[in-house]
Parts: sequence; structure tokens; C-alpha cells
Amino acid sequence: MKTNTIIRIIVFLVVAGYAILPETCSAKVMLFDDKLRLKGSLYQFMMYRTDLKREEKQYRNTNWGLMRSKATLEMLYKAYESGNTLLNFFGFFHYWHESVPDLDNEYRRSIASWARKKYQGPFFDEDDWINELYIDFYHDKWNLRLGKQIVFWSEVEMVRTIDRINPLDLRYTTPGIDPWDEIKLGLWMFRGFYNSDLPGQLVFEWIWIPGDFEQVRTPIEGTSMGTIPQPQGPERLRPRTGGQSDAVYRSFYRAKPAFTLRNSSWAFRIRGNSELKLFGDYYLVDWTVSYYHGMNSTPVARNKTLGRPSTNNFDTSTLNGYLNRNALTRVFGLPQPGLPYDSFWRYKFFDAIGASFQTYVPLIGAVTRGEMSYEIGLPVNKAFPLHVDPNPGSQKAITGTSERDQINIGFTFDKPLLWNWLSQHWGASGVFDCTFGWYGQWRLGNVTRVRKTFGYYDRHQSNFTLTVRTRLRHNELWPTVRFLYNTRNWGYGVWALRYTPGKHMRYEVGFLWFYAKDPTDSSEAFAENKDSIYLRIGYEW
Amino acid sequence: MKRRSVRTTVGCFVISMLLLGSGFAADITFPTPSYEGEKLKKVREWEKTWAGKKITIENIDQVKDFLHEGVYKAMTNPTIFGAEALWCEVVPYKQYSLSKGMIEATLKHAPTNKIDAEGMLVGYGDVPGIHFPQPATGLEMAWNFDGNTRGDSHHEIQRGSVVDCRTRFEREAEQYRWELYWINRYDVPPIPRFTKKQNPRGIARSFFQRHAAPADFVDTTMLEIKYQDIHREEDLWVYTAMFRRIRRYANNQRTDQIDGTDMIYDDQDGWYTHLIHNTYKYIGRADLLVARHQDSSKLQRITGQGFWDGVQRERVNHWVVEVKNKDPNYVYSKQLWYLDPESWQMNFKVMYDRQGRLWKMYELFYTEFPSYGGQTTPIFNSEHIVDFLRSHGSCSKREVKAVGIEIPLKQFRTQALKEKSY
Repeated sequence: MKTNTIIRIIVFLVVAGYAILPETCSAKVMLFDDKLRLKGSLYQFMMYRTDLKREEKQYRNTNWGLMRSKATLEMLYKAYESGNTLLNFFGFFHYWHESVPDLDNEYRRSIASWARKKYQGPFFDEDDWINELYIDFYHDKWNLRLGKQIVFWSEVEMVRTIDRINPLDLRYTTPGIDPWDEIKLGLWMFRGFYNSDLPGQLVFEWIWIPGDFEQVRTPIEGTSMGTIPQPQGPERLRPRTGGQSDAVYRSFYRAKPAFTLRNSSWAFRIRGNSELKLFGDYYLVDWTVSYYHGMNSTPVARNKTLGRPSTNNFDTSTLNGYLNRNALTRVFGLPQPGLPYDSFWRYKFFDAIGASFQTYVPLIGAVTRGEMSYEIGLPVNKAFPLHVDPNPGSQKAITGTSERDQINIGFTFDKPLLWNWLSQHWGASGVFDCTFGWYGQWRLGNVTRVRKTFGYYDRHQSNFTLTVRTRLRHNELWPTVRFLYNTRNWGYGVWALRYTPGKHMRYEVGFLWFYAKDPTDSSEAFAENKDSIYLRIGYEW
Repeated sequence: MKRRSVRTTVGCFVISMLLLGSGFAADITFPTPSYEGEKLKKVREWEKTWAGKKITIENIDQVKDFLHEGVYKAMTNPTIFGAEALWCEVVPYKQYSLSKGMIEATLKHAPTNKIDAEGMLVGYGDVPGIHFPQPATGLEMAWNFDGNTRGDSHHEIQRGSVVDCRTRFEREAEQYRWELYWINRYDVPPIPRFTKKQNPRGIARSFFQRHAAPADFVDTTMLEIKYQDIHREEDLWVYTAMFRRIRRYANNQRTDQIDGTDMIYDDQDGWYTHLIHNTYKYIGRADLLVARHQDSSKLQRITGQGFWDGVQRERVNHWVVEVKNKDPNYVYSKQLWYLDPESWQMNFKVMYDRQGRLWKMYELFYTEFPSYGGQTTPIFNSEHIVDFLRSHGSCSKREVKAVGIEIPLKQFRTQALKEKSY
């Protein structure tokens, strides 16, 4: 606690100091005859909740949802260069501290202590402070990268289809607010490229992740982006932490697979660039095809420890019994049952075949991008059908596990629109970069017994997105609006204004608006009351 | 008898063709110095008074005739660009030493060069050099500008600042740049073009750039391809390090500002895309002071100043072309290009807004840099582009690393955007 306070004070003083004297230092630092490049940033990111429900207010003293101080350091060392052989070392390190639990005692009491420590800094795993760290070796047409890495395979924005290599950390914000390279969780891997001279400028890429695994980090119970501890029970006896969500999260964490070769993931991709002539116009198409074999970052129940899917099951050595007992003890204000050593969950493998493309389409003056993945044997939990158990998916008892194939498709159209008047005023380019997107998902096979599918047992879902951004005052001001609409009537919008006045200082203010007709419809719709104003102040060097 | 008459006929034909050829050749003169004979003498006489002198607000009116309205306006109203005073220096006119390849190619092809009804140079791609050394129309002058390939390839590091002269805030930028001409080459083999096998897509010019500053753009890379087919729009890819993605960009973003500078994509190097997008009208000659032999280390400015001090200006008798885009909604209502009579590079241009007001001025400061085969090539080593209406400027220096070099063609593949990027 004392150390955290000191860190916060140091970060604050550094940011404040550079805010006062923004032009005194140069961007990035080169050392050892330009062999070592250092760059980094200091950021303070704050979110203020504007739509706290009465139910949630009892777990808060303030409306602050996030107050995260973050420092990043990027290091590139050119160790060896001769002819067409090159050896570099790259490292991207980050450290953060989330302060709201320190400032708001009620908030602090709402988060389980085991989770709070992991939440407030880079302590979920021992190596969380290392975002990336790898050796990068080039020789002729070969490139090998060995170490902790983040892989980007996606073409479209906001929604991921083929980009499955690294899981996400969604505990603090939503994608689009934090940069992707800080939201993705690095994995230790071997990655290689071969740049061929074959027609289409083919590049072969392969990845081997020898057992490193990260679960997707969904919002933690009691935190601003998470649920309140539930079920709540009688008011005076109401326990602060250890709700159902926490119990599940804790058991997920305990089920993390071992770092062994048996748990290896594999991926392979071919990237090409081909020219087509259609209707008199040339189309230069960037395309990829890919294959992935890896563990799903969300587990399914272990049949061995599942237990009877009945409200009468209170056997804490089984998953259903444990969750029933946990709910019961909360309602009656009894001590929380201990989590048994035996794991309730199992992370399972699945396969995915993917493809993507992007090209400029002269006819409409827009860049179109698309990607598709066919996921084979995606592990799912089963539950009673809707007519037997009408509860939302996340509240249903698990009856077993199964596998389903799933198709994910995404298309975007990037069309710059020029407003002539604006191009002559305020140092604006007058160009509005507009991106319209559509994303669809289909789950194949019978979905009536799949516990969590899209909405209430829908076989498919569609999302539409719209992003519009422009720049004013020679890129000093960057207004952006972004919307996502799901056809089941939930979604979110972001209004943001970024201000970059000089070499180093970066400011961003924005408003996050979530809405949902039915918050239980999906985990994204659950964020329905998370509306926030956010402010980000940063120093980059 | 019969054989003699055949010989006579053939002889007459050869002689007449030679005479005809020499007649054409007589119309083509190259190189074309800015001043010769009496005009040069007059310039030298003028230089006796002015060469080596510093031009400031005190004496600027004495050389006003040799300064463009934009330069005069900036120097007499320095506060527009965040300075208390601006100065430049007069240096003697020096004729360019053009490469052997450019001279030979020009003398070989110029006599037969023609423009078709569409405004296209016949044989474009296979007729390197300055296409019309004695031009008659604005379009021919524009084609001459297009013919200068700046040594066929070059590599440089550009370091610049985007300056808000009112608030004195600056944002810095640093880019490593490589440019390669694939056709119309006259200095570096293969001449005049890469083979079909090496260049199956008919690339005319490729440009690759890696950002080293500002901090949030480090390792962002850009690849732009211009094609020989004038009806085919350029292709542009950007690898954004923050998103780790190669993003295809739409060509109709060409009027967008580059990284918030005062420059739009079309402004690069003076004019960066196909000539066919504009109409060109020759409006006369202009004897003006410009920087053709600039020592970039002499350029100075203070923080918040968007216009270089220390520009070394020499007199040059420019060809002036009025340029209007065929798109009635284009961001500029017109541009004036000031083209060098020797190398046909653009020494500067001014741009007018849609209300017809003087909006921007782009000055390119050149130097003669060692290039292929021990020759020299004029290439710009610094520049500023200023916005008169909004007191804004973008100043940069280019550390030219090499001109007329062999750049591996794989540098201009999309995969190169991601290589060595972090």
C-alpha cells in the first residue's frame, strides 16, 4: 500500500512536470551508437461513472470507475547486423496501478482480496509486467522470432474473427479505448516467416506456442466493469465479496492448464498479394489463409466434477453443488464454502480455419476488408432447453459439455468523405474517415441445449459498426465517434476527442454510452449501465 | 548505270535524312542554362552588389523584384510565422551539372517526343530524360517536371517539425525514406526500365517510408505505388505499429494532410501523382531568388517559427505554369508551379484556396549530391511549406544518404512494411 502510494505520487509528479514543460525533452532515446532505442509513456486514465444504479451505489462511495496510472517502456537493441543477417532484441514492458480501490473503501470491500491484488497491478501472472520480449532474427528470406509476443492477424476493427492467438484483458476497458497491443496478453512462442519469391509474393508464417496459456480476463466481480457481488441476500447480512461471478472466476483461474508441451498450440498462415483485373479496373488484393489449433481461452465444465444440475445439489465437490451452496450461503449470510482442490473446469482445444482480404475498390472509392473463420469443435457448456429452464444463460445449471462448429464473418468498408468547406478551415483536412462494418456469427448444429449462445438460443447474431473520425488543427485535435449495434438491440457508442498539442503530451476525453434492451442477453449487453466519462492524460517519449 | 543510279538515290536519301535529322536536332538544345550570354553578364553584375549579402526587413525592398510575393509577405510580416525577423542570404547563380544519363536520354528522345490527345506522353516509360527541353505549352513543361527522376532512386532521412506559430507548439517527425523509379530511368541500370519479369505490375515509382518520430508513430511504415497506367490510381498501404496491421488506404485520401503537416499527399515533391489530373497553362518566365545550392546546416529557426532563416537564394529564370485540378471540388483552386529551366525540378509552388486567396507556399531547397557513376544530381535537402491564412508552417531537413543507388525491389513489397517493425 505504501509502495503503491509512492508509485502513484511519482507517476503524478512526472506527468504533471511534463505537462508544465512539454517541449523540454526529445521523443525516444537512442543509446550506444544508435544500437539501443528506448521509448515509453506515462498515462493516467480515469473513468467517471454517470449512470450508477441504486443497487450498485451501495458498493461505492464515489462514482470513479477507474483511475489507472500506467507506465510503458519499449526497448529495441540491434545486437548484430551484417549483410542480410540481423539480430535484434525487442522488449515491451508495462506497469500499472489502479487506484480506485485505494480511494474508495466501499469499492475496495466489494472486490475479493485475491482478485483485488491481481486487478490493481500487473500481478495476474508473474510475467504480466512483460508485454513482449523476444529475439528477432533475420537471415535472407527467413525471419524467426522467439519469446513472448503479441500476434495481430485481423483485418477488420472492433470485432475479432481469425485473430485468436492472444487472449484479451477486458478487466479495465473495452476494445477501442485502450490500444490493442496493451489489451492483448502476450504468449511465449516460436514464430517464423519465410518470404518467398513465388507469384503473389507469398509469405509463410508459422507459430508454435509450447504450452503457454492465458485465460481471457473478463471484468472482475465488484469492479467497475464487472458485476456487483450476487446473489445479495438480506441487506444487513449481505456479504461484500465472493458472489457467483467471483466463485466462477476463481475456479477458472485454478483450472489453468500446466505449461507443458502437451498443451501446445499451433498456427499457420500464408499471406499473399495478388492482382486481378475486373470490369476494366485493377484490384490489388492482400489476402491470407490461416489455420489455428489451440485452447479456447474460456473453459467448459469437467464432466467428472459437474454434479447433478439440480437446485437440491449442495455437494461442494461438484460444480453445480458448489455454486448452489455458494448462492445459499450468501442469501443466508453464512460463510462462503471453500473451493475444492479438484478442478471444476477444463480448457479444451479447438481448430479454426480462416481467411481474410483487403482491397481498394475504385468503383466506390472505398477500401473493403473481410475476414472469415470456421471454428471446428468449439467447446460449449450444455444446459436445459428454454422451456425447462427459462433463466438467462449465465444463470442456468450446467448439464454437460459438447462441441459446436461456428462461423464468424466480418466485413468493413472504409470510405473517406471530403467536406470541402472544412478543408479550408481550422487547419482541417476536411477528410472524414468513415468505416462501416458488419459482423455475423453462426453456430452450427442444435443450439437449444447450448448454455450460452447468442441471446436466447439464437443460432446467429449480427453486429453493425460505424466509426467516423477526422482531424482538426493539423492533427492536434482528433474527434472520433464509434458505434456498435447488435440486432438483439444492445450496443455501445463512444464520443472521443484527442488533443496532441506538442511532442509529448497527449490528452483524450470521451464519453462511453452502453445500452441494452435486455442486459442478460449477452456478456456485452450486461455493460448496459456502465456509461462513463473518461479522461486520459499521457506523456509519450 | 543502273547500279550508279541506285547508289545515287540511296545517297540522296541518306543525305536528306541526315539533313532532316540535323534539322530536328537543331531544335533541341540541352542542357538549358538559366542564363547565358548577355543575360548571364547582367546577373553577374547584379551579384557583385548582392552575392553574400543578408536580406532582412531593412533591405528587402531592394530585391523585391526577385522575390515571390509569398516570400516577400513572410519576410515583411515575420510574426505570421512566429519570428521577430526573418532573413535569407543571396548566393551566386551556379549552373547545374546534370548527369550524363539525363543529357544523353534527353538528346536521344526529345526530338521525337509527342503528346497525344489525352495529354499523355507517347511512349511514356520508354522515353527517359527531359521530354521537351524547349517547351511551348504548360503541359509540355509539366511533362518535363515529370521526367526528372532525381537520380532514379534515393534514400534520405527527413526530420521536421509541424509548427503552430501562434501557440508555438511543435510536433516533430522523423522518417526514413526510399524512392525508386521503375521506368523512364536514365542514370542507373537497367535503363530505361525494369524488365517485365521484374516489374509485372507496371510500377512507375515506388516509395517506402519508416517513421522514427513522434513517439506514437515510431515504426509506422508506408508504401506507395504509382503505376505506369495513368488511369490506374496509386496504391497506398500503411502499417500502424500501434495496431500492428497493414492497412490499405483509399486513393481519394490524397488531399488529406500528411501527419498534420501543411502538405497534402499530392504536394509531395511538388506533385506526386499522374499529370492527367490537372490542366496546365504556361503563364511566363519569372526571375526569382530560390535555393538551389543550400547548405542545410545553415538553416535555422527558433521554437515556434514555421519558416526557415538562412535560406541561400540564387537567381533563376523559372518557367511558371498555372495548374488547375480537373476536379472542381479540389482543395486548391489553383497552383502556380515554378519550374527550374535546367533540371525541371520544382523550386517552389504556391497554392490558392477555393476563394482564390494565397493559402500556402511550398519551397524546396536543393543541393547537388553525388550520385551514380561519380556524377551529381540536384536533390532537395530541406523545405518548408507554410500556411499564410492560419500562421502555420512545416519545416524539415532531409539528410540525403544516397542518390542513384540500387535498392532491392523487395523493399517495395507489402511484407516489407512489417519487417523490422515493432
